[in-house]
Amino acid sequence: MRVNVVILTCLAVQACWIQFKTKDWTGLKSALVSAMSICLMLQANSIWTFVIAGALSIGSKFFLKWNGKHIFNPTNFGICLTVMLTGDAWISPGQWGSDAMLLFAVGLAGLVVLLRVKRLDTAIAFLLTFLSLMFARNILFLGWPVDFFFHQLNAGSLLLFSFFMITDPVQTPVSQKARLIWAVAVGVLAYYMSTKWWWSSLGSFYSAAPIWALFFLSPLVPVLDRLMKGEKFSWNK
Amino acid sequence: MKRITLFALAALFATNGYSFCGFYVAKADVKLFNKTSQVIIAKNGDRQTVTMSSDFEGDVKDFAMVVPVPVVLGEKDIRTVDRLLFDKLDTYSAPRLVEYYDNNPCYNPVYYDYAKSANIPRMAAKSEDMEMEKDKKNYGVTVEAKYTVGEYDILILSAKESGGLEQWLIDNGYKMPVGAKEVLDPYIKTNMKFFVCKVNLENYKSAGAVPLKPLQISYNSPKFMLPIRLGMANANGSQDLIIYMYSQLGRIETTNYRTALIPTDFKVPLFVQGEFGEFYRDLYNKAHAREGKNVVFLEYAWEVSPMQNVFCDPCVGDPPMVAELKEAGVDWLVSRGQDYHTGGNVYDGKVYFTRMHVTYDREHFPQDLMFQETPNKQTFQGRYILTHPASGDFSCDKGQTYLGDLSKRRWNELYTYQWLTGRDITTHYDYPKEYDIYLNKTEPKNKKQGSMISIGDIEDPQHPGNSQNNMFVFIVSILTLAGVFFALSRKRTAQ
Repeated sequence: MRVNVVILTCLAVQACWIQFKTKDWTGLKSALVSAMSICLMLQANSIWTFVIAGALSIGSKFFLKWNGKHIFNPTNFGICLTVMLTGDAWISPGQWGSDAMLLFAVGLAGLVVLLRVKRLDTAIAFLLTFLSLMFARNILFLGWPVDFFFHQLNAGSLLLFSFFMITDPVQTPVSQKARLIWAVAVGVLAYYMSTKWWWSSLGSFYSAAPIWALFFLSPLVPVLDRLMKGEKFSWNK
Repeated sequence: MKRITLFALAALFATNGYSFCGFYVAKADVKLFNKTSQVIIAKNGDRQTVTMSSDFEGDVKDFAMVVPVPVVLGEKDIRTVDRLLFDKLDTYSAPRLVEYYDNNPCYNPVYYDYAKSANIPRMAAKSEDMEMEKDKKNYGVTVEAKYTVGEYDILILSAKESGGLEQWLIDNGYKMPVGAKEVLDPYIKTNMKFFVCKVNLENYKSAGAVPLKPLQISYNSPKFMLPIRLGMANANGSQDLIIYMYSQLGRIETTNYRTALIPTDFKVPLFVQGEFGEFYRDLYNKAHAREGKNVVFLEYAWEVSPMQNVFCDPCVGDPPMVAELKEAGVDWLVSRGQDYHTGGNVYDGKVYFTRMHVTYDREHFPQDLMFQETPNKQTFQGRYILTHPASGDFSCDKGQTYLGDLSKRRWNELYTYQWLTGRDITTHYDYPKEYDIYLNKTEPKNKKQGSMISIGDIEDPQHPGNSQNNMFVFIVSILTLAGVFFALSRKRTAQ
C-alpha cells in the first residue's frame, strides 16, 4: 500500500513537471528510484506523510536547483524534511538488521550503479572516513572487541546510504577533488553526530547519523562547485 | 564525600525472582548466572527512570550487582519499588491466549469472547555474593557517593581505568567474572559511572527477610540505552531480558538491532490451553532462531494514556492505573481535578507502552541496546486464538458441512502449531478427527472426512514477524533490477 502511494506520488509530481516544463519523459525512471528509496528508509503512521515525503523529494529536484544541479539528494531531502516537519515520520536504521545476503545484494546493486555513474569515489571516501573514525574510537580508543565494529559495518542502512544516497550523480560536486573533500566531510560529521549527539528530537543519531550529515552538508556543494570546476554529469553521455 | 543514610523499609511482598542488566559478582565459588531480567524504562525527554528486577534466587548475602550509569546519582534518585509492579506489568502485557466459540449451525447462536490469563514461565536463575568497604587512591577508583536505600547498600563509583576498578572490586570482596575487565574499559572511557550494590543484611532482616525489592534509579541523560554487554561477562549462554517502556510519543525501537514482531494472531489447537506457557516459550525460541538470533522482539505496544479507554483486546490483566504508572516513573501526567461522575482524579498526558523481549548472548549482541522513541502509534500484541467447536446436534445439512470445515480448520491449526513451535504433531493426528463421530453414516464424503488432507488444502500460516523483512527484501530486489536496468540502458545510449 504505502509503496504504491509513494511511487504514485513521485511519478505524478515528476509527470506534472515534465508535462509543463521539460517534456523529457526519461525523468520518470529517476522518480521511481527516489520513490523506492523513500519506501526503504522512511516510516510513518499516516499514508499522507508518505505523500508529503514523495512530493517534497521530487519537488526539491525542480525548485532547489543551482546551476542546473539539485542542491539536495531528493530522497534525502524528502526524508529529512518530512521527519522534521510532520512529527509523524521516523527513520528506522535498525530495521535492516545485518543479514548477509541482503547486504550482498545491496552492495552488488550499488556497485553496478556506481560504476556506471562514476561515483564510486564518493562512496569509498565516505565509507573509509566514517568507518576508520568509528574503528579508531570504538576499538582502538574505547577498547570494544572487534565484533562491535563489524556489527556497525554490517548495518544494512549504512550500505544503502553509501551506495544509493550519498552518490547521487546530479547532486555531488562535479570535480572529483571536491567530491572527495565533501564525502570526507560528510563522513566526519556523521561520525561526530553518532558519537557525540546521540539522541535528539529527530530520533536517534546513533545509527541514522549519515542521513542527517548528508542533509546538513548538502548546501555546501554549490560552494565547492564554485571553487572547483569540473565536468557536469549528464545521464545521456 | 561520603554520605550514609539509612532508610526505613516498608513491607515487602513475597515473590520469587531477581537479576539485572549488570553482572553479578561473587565471593564464593558458586556458579553465577543471571537468566531473566526485567527492566522498566520511563522516558520523559532526557529524564529517564529505570527500574530493574531480576529473578535472583539464593542467599541474599551473595547478591551483588554492577550497572553502568551515565551520571552520579543523587540519593533521591534511587529507591526501591514494589515487586508487584513488575508482576502487574507482565500479566497485563504478556502474550495472550484468547478463545472464541463456534455457533452450532443447527441451533440459535450463543457467543462468548474473553481472554484467558496466561503467564509465560521464565527460566530459573542463581547468583552470587559481595562484601566491601574501602577506597584507595591507587586504584584510580573514586567513591562518588554512598547510600543505603531500603535493603541495599549502594556505591556510585567512577574509575580511571578498568584494571584499577577490577582490582578495587576484587579487594573489596567482589568476585569478578572472567571477561569483565574487557567490557569495563569502554564504559570508563565514555565517562560512565558504576552503580554497585549489595544487600544490607541488617535492613534486610529487619524488613522481614522477604525477596529483594526492585531498584529504581532516575537520571538525566540523552543516552537512551541499556548496557547489556556487562551482563554477558558472567552469563552461561544466552539471557532473557524483558523491557517495559513508557514514553510520550509512541513506540520505542532499537536502532542498532532489528526490532521484529513476535508472530501473532494465529489460530491454534485447543490443547494449547493446557500448555500455553511452554507453547509460547517454544514459539519464541523458534522465532528467535528463525530471525537469526540477533533481533529484539516486540511483544506488546499500546497507548495507555489515562484518558484512553481501550488498552488491549482483550486484556489479560488490568491495564496499569495512574498510581502504577507513577511508580514506574511516568512523571509527566498532570492532574486535572476530580471526575464529576466517579470522584476519581482525571489526568492529562499521553503514555505509550512498549514491551520488548530480547534473548542475547555474546556472539549475537556485540553492542549495547540503543533505543529511539518513534511517533509509531500502531498497536501490537502477541495473541493466539482458540476456537471451541459448537456443541449439540449436527445432523442437519449445515451441521454436516460444519463438521467438514471443522476438521479442515483443525488440520490448519495443527500445521500452524507445528510451524510456530517446531513440535512434532504426529501424536495429535486424532485432534482433527475428534468430531467425526457426529458425521451421518450415509454421507458420501465420509471416507475423506477427518483423514489426512493434502498440504494444498492447508492455508499457509501467515508470517507477520517476517512480513516487514520480506517486503524489504522484495524492494531491494526491485531496486537491484532497476539499478541494473538503469545502468545497462545508459550504456546502450552511450554507444
